[in-house]
Amino acid sequence: MGHAQDEFADFYGSSRDSCLKAVTAVVGDRLLAEELVAEAFARAWTSWEKVRRHPASQAWVVRTALNIGVSWWRRRREVPLADHDGAAPADVSGVDPVLIAALRRLPTRQREVLALRIFLDLDTESTAQVLRIAPGTVTAHLSRAVTALRRDLPAASTDANAREVYR
Amino acid sequence: MNEHADVMCQVRESFAGLRMDTPVENVLARSRARRRRRLTGMAGAAAGAAGVAAALILTAPAHPGNSPRPSSTSATLAAFSVTSGPGTATTLILHKGPQYAPLDPSALRQVLAQHGIPALVTVGTFCRPAVGPLADGFGQFVHPSTLPDGSAEMVINGAAMPSGTRLSIGYFPGHIRLAVLGNAAALLCSSRSGQPAAHLTPSGIPVHR
Repeated sequence: MGHAQDEFADFYGSSRDSCLKAVTAVVGDRLLAEELVAEAFARAWTSWEKVRRHPASQAWVVRTALNIGVSWWRRRREVPLADHDGAAPADVSGVDPVLIAALRRLPTRQREVLALRIFLDLDTESTAQVLRIAPGTVTAHLSRAVTALRRDLPAASTDANAREVYR
Repeated sequence: MNEHADVMCQVRESFAGLRMDTPVENVLARSRARRRRRLTGMAGAAAGAAGVAAALILTAPAHPGNSPRPSSTSATLAAFSVTSGPGTATTLILHKGPQYAPLDPSALRQVLAQHGIPALVTVGTFCRPAVGPLADGFGQFVHPSTLPDGSAEMVINGAAMPSGTRLSIGYFPGHIRLAVLGNAAALLCSSRSGQPAAHLTPSGIPVHR
């Protein structure tokens, strides 16, 4: 048990920030995201034997966190936060509110694709497997999301400091 | 995908400062509590629904009118418990878990009032002044924390709350929002509050603003 717990602690330490960023990008609320991610990691520890062998353990956590969020809101018979258009103030201190508003205007699936690609560094194939959609659909969602963000975030179109290459 | 790199880099860099503060110990404790809840839920199902009825057990103060701060009052509802102490403060616990009945905001408000704590309790919404700032000194009146099983605990020093103020408690499925309201003429109640004084999540980290 001790070794497994150490292994889980290492996984948590190396993955939690990325998972938090990904879930925050999707739900648009940092505190809600932290709650969802913490619950997802708790479930990961409960099922650690399975999760540790998962080919994309971080993606498992993010997918679980998002599913928990959906089920919470379904139980309360309310519309998921992710489907609002951003009229309400987003609780994401430290992140440009213009970006958060722009993300919240994207359809949920586009946000999920963006989050997995950017914060978990998943390629198109892996993203497609996690979201259970076709690779071509991932590409289409990503393209539409980036087009919308480029329109809403003018700084991005003139950013000459792009240093990363995405597959 | 290189044509997307500029936007994707901008998004990545915008989130660079986000850090998850929850210690791994809290996650492990949450996992243990989850296992316990599942076991309790199975036992509860066998015992029948009566075990989770919202039974209100109230021990009335011996002389409720003689003291503004009853010291021996203990009230427990399935969804929450309110007890006197430590010291002159009052401890409120909002229990978390499927075995607990839904929170009755009116019942909680009444019990807090018996402890000398004027409160506005809402479920699914959070109320704050429609205009102007929140009352100062939140940290002097309320000390929120999270118990290992995920329940929210608040030690409330009602005697220290200025006259005319009241505690706003917004109960949400995954978190609780708290604020001390001043003498605001109008309140703004929203399912997504903008600037609560503290946002308590079961992760155990109250965020004061």
